[in-house]
Amino acid sequence: MNPVPRLFLATVSEIKEAWWMYALAAFITLFILAGSLFFARNAYVQSKKLGMSKELVKKAVVSSVSFSVLPSVGIFIGVITMSGMLGIPLPWIRLSVVGALHYELLAASVAAEGITLAAMTTENLVTIAFVMTLSILWGGLFAIFFLKKYQTKVISKATGTGNKGFGKFLFDAVFIGMISAYVGDAVAKIVKYETRLVIDGAYALDGTGNYIWEDHKTFVPLIVLLSSMVAMAFFDWLIRKKQVKWLENFSLALSMIFGMIVAVVLGIGGIY
Amino acid sequence: MARERTYVDNLHRTGRIFMILGFSIMISVPVTMWAVTGVAPDTEMFFPAFLTLSLLYLPGGIIEVITYSPMLGTSATYLAFITGNLSNLKIPCAMNARELCKTTIGSPENEVVATLAVSASTITTTLVMTFGVIMLIPLTPLLELPVLQPAFNWVVSALFGALGYKYFRNNPKLIAVPLVFMIAFGLLAPGFLVGNLAIAIVIGALVSTIAAKILFDKHVLDKEAS
Repeated sequence: MNPVPRLFLATVSEIKEAWWMYALAAFITLFILAGSLFFARNAYVQSKKLGMSKELVKKAVVSSVSFSVLPSVGIFIGVITMSGMLGIPLPWIRLSVVGALHYELLAASVAAEGITLAAMTTENLVTIAFVMTLSILWGGLFAIFFLKKYQTKVISKATGTGNKGFGKFLFDAVFIGMISAYVGDAVAKIVKYETRLVIDGAYALDGTGNYIWEDHKTFVPLIVLLSSMVAMAFFDWLIRKKQVKWLENFSLALSMIFGMIVAVVLGIGGIY
Repeated sequence: MARERTYVDNLHRTGRIFMILGFSIMISVPVTMWAVTGVAPDTEMFFPAFLTLSLLYLPGGIIEVITYSPMLGTSATYLAFITGNLSNLKIPCAMNARELCKTTIGSPENEVVATLAVSASTITTTLVMTFGVIMLIPLTPLLELPVLQPAFNWVVSALFGALGYKYFRNNPKLIAVPLVFMIAFGLLAPGFLVGNLAIAIVIGALVSTIAAKILFDKHVLDKEAS
């Protein structure tokens, strides 16, 4: 029997967790941190030029940090989900730059179609890394080449006075459309919620090479959505009527925690 | 004749440089894996997968830039398109900050607020992930506790519920049409909506914008709080 595949297997699991993969991830983390700080500093300098108050700047930063903690824990759980197949550093990198879990799971699965964890070779891993990286660059490439033109030709006109004042409603309307889509998504899951089975951090395939689908229809997301909406209404009442001003920066995070606690309580009661 | 570079020109220049650097570093990861292992990617496996995914992500990426960049402004768009997690984190985060700071989209003040919001959000995510990796061994069993799974499964629903209240309260006349439309959409085509949320967001945004324009033209929005 040829011993090479066994050697390959040992090698691929070593590569997935190699020190230089962690070093790459750490380097990318530093790049993202440095870039974010650079943009934040420029924005802060500009805020002074525009005569914006320090309180306003603080409000933008503190509310965004408190808002982002919980979804970030959710994103980190995505790293754990994918680590079964790809180790920790590669999902860490992919979810730090451009990635989002649903993109990455799909990319890993399409690239690794038919490959199981036990049969994965170094060549497979390198190919998966290339596919996951290169397939997702399109939006950014479009921004590099066309964002400036798009802003000058379209957005400035939409928000400018030439549009007789509709501009101020336009983007609220766009965002309300986006929120409505998430409400529709929560409603849809009551009727049908088919998910692809994930094994070892990638979508699993059946014997005929098709994805394995499972229906988990549930009304939990709608209850969670409505619960955090009610919690937000309560906090908003405290802020506006009872003048509890410190809550302003944390009301969203606390409302999310309330919605998540409702989900946990429902889960304890056997409702998923 | 060469014209003087404006502040906005500088934002684009810095954003593009940051983005090109970011992409170079991203691409260096698989290239380093290739260089260190000496194993090249399998082209027969790479091209079909790359083309399949590009069919999805090329139009998806363009639509994302068109839909989200007005809400983010210039710098925050470049930063958000490098760091990802747009619809589930960066966009709602920037819109929340805008709502709190009462800035108008397209204004110089909103450019500052959105950039600060996306920077702060990115730094938070990066620190949470780094902390998570460092503390992986004690944290993994905790985060994988079955009792906590529903909380993180539905974190995005919780996020849009809380943020939805604020936007719905401030714009009551803008809600009805997109909300009824998307609920009906969810009931009539649940599989499509759940499986194609990115497309559903664009449809929701279009329906909402058209409805708002009709209401605006009929002067229904004249007294609406922005």
